[in-house]
Amino acid sequence: MNIFSFFGLTICLTTLSLAILIFKFGNLKNTSHRTLLLLNLALVVWGFGCMMVGFSKNPAESLFWWKIAHVGGVFTVCFILENVLAVTETKRTGFLFFAYAQATLFQVLSVANLLQVRMLYVYNSFYYIVPDGVGYPIFTFCFLLVCYYSAVILFNAFIHSQGQRRLQLKFHLIAFLFGIVGGTAHFFTVYNPNIFPYGSLLIPGFPLLATYAILKHKLLDIEVVIKKTLVFAGLFVATYAVFAFFAFLGQIFFERLVTSNRWVSMLPSVFVVTFMLRPLENFLINVTNKYLFQKKYDYKELLKTFTSEVLTVLDLDKLVNLTIDKLADIIKLNSCAVLLFDDEKQQFRVVASNNIKDSSVTLAKPDSIVTFLEQTHGYLLRKELIEKKVFIPGTIQEIIDKLRSELIIPMVLHEKVIGVLSLGKKKSDEDYTQDDLDILLPLARTLAIAISNAELFEELSKTQAEAAQREKMAVIGTLSAGINHEICNPLGIARGQCEAFLLNIKDGLYKDKTTEELLRKAEEIMSKVIKETDRATAITKKLSGFAKPAKGEAEHVDISKEIDEVFGLVGYELRLEKIDFDKQVAAGLPKLFVDRKQFQEVLFNLMRNAGQAIGEKGRITVSARQDGGKVVIDIEDTGSGIPQDKIKELFNPFFTTKEPGKGTGLGLFIVRQVVEKNGGRIYLKKTMVGQGTTFTVEFPETAQPAALTVKA
Amino acid sequence: MTKPRIVAIDDEAEFIDILQNYFSLREYEIHVATRGTKGIELVKEKKPDVVLMDLKMPGIDGDEVLKLLKSMDPSPKVIFITAYDDGGKTKARLLKMGAYACLDKPISSLRALEDTINEAVQL
Repeated sequence: MNIFSFFGLTICLTTLSLAILIFKFGNLKNTSHRTLLLLNLALVVWGFGCMMVGFSKNPAESLFWWKIAHVGGVFTVCFILENVLAVTETKRTGFLFFAYAQATLFQVLSVANLLQVRMLYVYNSFYYIVPDGVGYPIFTFCFLLVCYYSAVILFNAFIHSQGQRRLQLKFHLIAFLFGIVGGTAHFFTVYNPNIFPYGSLLIPGFPLLATYAILKHKLLDIEVVIKKTLVFAGLFVATYAVFAFFAFLGQIFFERLVTSNRWVSMLPSVFVVTFMLRPLENFLINVTNKYLFQKKYDYKELLKTFTSEVLTVLDLDKLVNLTIDKLADIIKLNSCAVLLFDDEKQQFRVVASNNIKDSSVTLAKPDSIVTFLEQTHGYLLRKELIEKKVFIPGTIQEIIDKLRSELIIPMVLHEKVIGVLSLGKKKSDEDYTQDDLDILLPLARTLAIAISNAELFEELSKTQAEAAQREKMAVIGTLSAGINHEICNPLGIARGQCEAFLLNIKDGLYKDKTTEELLRKAEEIMSKVIKETDRATAITKKLSGFAKPAKGEAEHVDISKEIDEVFGLVGYELRLEKIDFDKQVAAGLPKLFVDRKQFQEVLFNLMRNAGQAIGEKGRITVSARQDGGKVVIDIEDTGSGIPQDKIKELFNPFFTTKEPGKGTGLGLFIVRQVVEKNGGRIYLKKTMVGQGTTFTVEFPETAQPAALTVKA
Repeated sequence: MTKPRIVAIDDEAEFIDILQNYFSLREYEIHVATRGTKGIELVKEKKPDVVLMDLKMPGIDGDEVLKLLKSMDPSPKVIFITAYDDGGKTKARLLKMGAYACLDKPISSLRALEDTINEAVQL
């Protein structure tokens, strides 16, 4: 095997691995992934062809393999161009057609032996292709034209890009550098056989880096996969080389000494390979770690992500999950977990985790691991314990195993351990360094503050929800007059119908009636009784439905229907006060995506406030319409209006203008919170003392409220 | 003894229906209205002995109507039948102003109402 064959084999193996990688992990519907796969496959053909060229014993054989190699080779630029066009989202249909056309033409000429080339025996070891007319130079020109043109497109896109995309395109450009140098190297030898095509070895660099650049943001662990691929390829090549070397030695020496037995000459290579494999693997892992992934992880990125994205989150659940995701992503951890102290059960339990063995693991207060963390406020590094030969008790070992912990850091707030951060092994198999600890320990402390904030915030919203419920119940209490009427009236009628019938019989008033007439009478009464009891049931249902606490689940809600529903509750009271009610809902209004009950509460409060502002005689108009991506609901009354100096305090808690006992002053304060929780906003549209007030509630047409869950 | 003439005013048509059926079967002269204004005209026209009415109805204010009825000659006895409840305040005020009775809705029994009406005219 000569060195040219070895080059070919290397190209073939690396690109084949990458092709498999893209096929397995990439998205083949994506043009950039697909063209990259094709590029790698073309290079597999090129590499294989080159290897066979190296093995060829005569010009005819080598010409055959050169033709095979060129089948892949000429199309590489086409795939590169298409890939660049896809990545930069550029359209150059004409040029793309030209690229494919020239490649196809070359293919045809090559097969038909019309390319005017001849084989030249170089370096006393293999045959190289050299031009013997204008055919190959013209092709060379076209090939390089497509190649450089692609580079220009890419460079332009790079200059005009920003941020993450710039990074991706930078990788692509570097990849191109490899590709251009590697690709051109072939032509150097074609036109000047004195230059050995060493540059060809750079060829796999192009697909390697391009694959990395494209897949990086789709595939988090691509580095690890690439690393393993490289190690595998290295091992394969080394084993292969050892066999080849000993086969060669065997040919020279053993055959002379002993009677020619190929198997005997193989023995030493088996021996060497067996002993060398493990150290070689370690060596390769070390080399790839050291030179390819030396950057490990970006401390800056870790800090930036945590300060800007994670630590500001007030939703506890989101906060811990984000912590886990970002830690695993940036430090590239195999596993990690956040444990928080549960006051009720007096133990730490896992609240968020990634790839741990058993998430039901708990740490009780008296556990020695907790005592240790509490006393020292320090960390626990497994490797360090083992190195220092510290005895790890079985129970702690079990916890470490279940969490797949490598490093355990307490989260301390005001001298109290509120939680535990467990970090697993890094994917790179590297140990935690002092640098890591210097950044992770303060991070854990900051995290403790953020978690405690989120907990307090959660507590606060719970208190607020309770206040909202109390307010609602208070309001329902004052509603009782109207509600009483709505329930007692139908019951009174039902009762009256029955009683009248019974008394009529008793007083002998039905004496002259036939049985049939009496039955008809009874039938009439009963259907009336049923109708009235249904009426009473409906109102109690409405009331109890409204009284139940809202669940905070968003669903699609019909505005018009909800206005009617709420009017059913406040309507009677309004009628009593001679207040007219007017509903104006625009036709075809989209449904709102909100919590139904909370939406009802908002309408209820605003309608009731409007009624109270009017007192007696007036009009409430509730209108809903669409306005540029928003649904706008106006609640307008002809009431007393709000004095200028009170407007500012309107949404403050406990602000009220109502008589004592009529309102707690929490109404508008809670209404605003509820509206905002549902992704909307509320404001005072206009008010004029003695003329009336209009409140406006706005909801985005489609947006999903972040603070609510989606009802299944 | 002739039975008392009644005018009943209530916005609940079903309730009016029951009253009308019950009393007319028992040979009372009863006139009904479901709207306050119509009811007052009816009272002026028929000059009843007893007026049964709801306290809270659209377009009707108990206090004013009571004043009006009290000023009429002959003035009918007024019996309020209502589900409205503000802790007895309104009831007490109306009784003080001269209403004969304030009954809760639903009424405990039609017979009791009939008795109340008869008692009222005997006074």
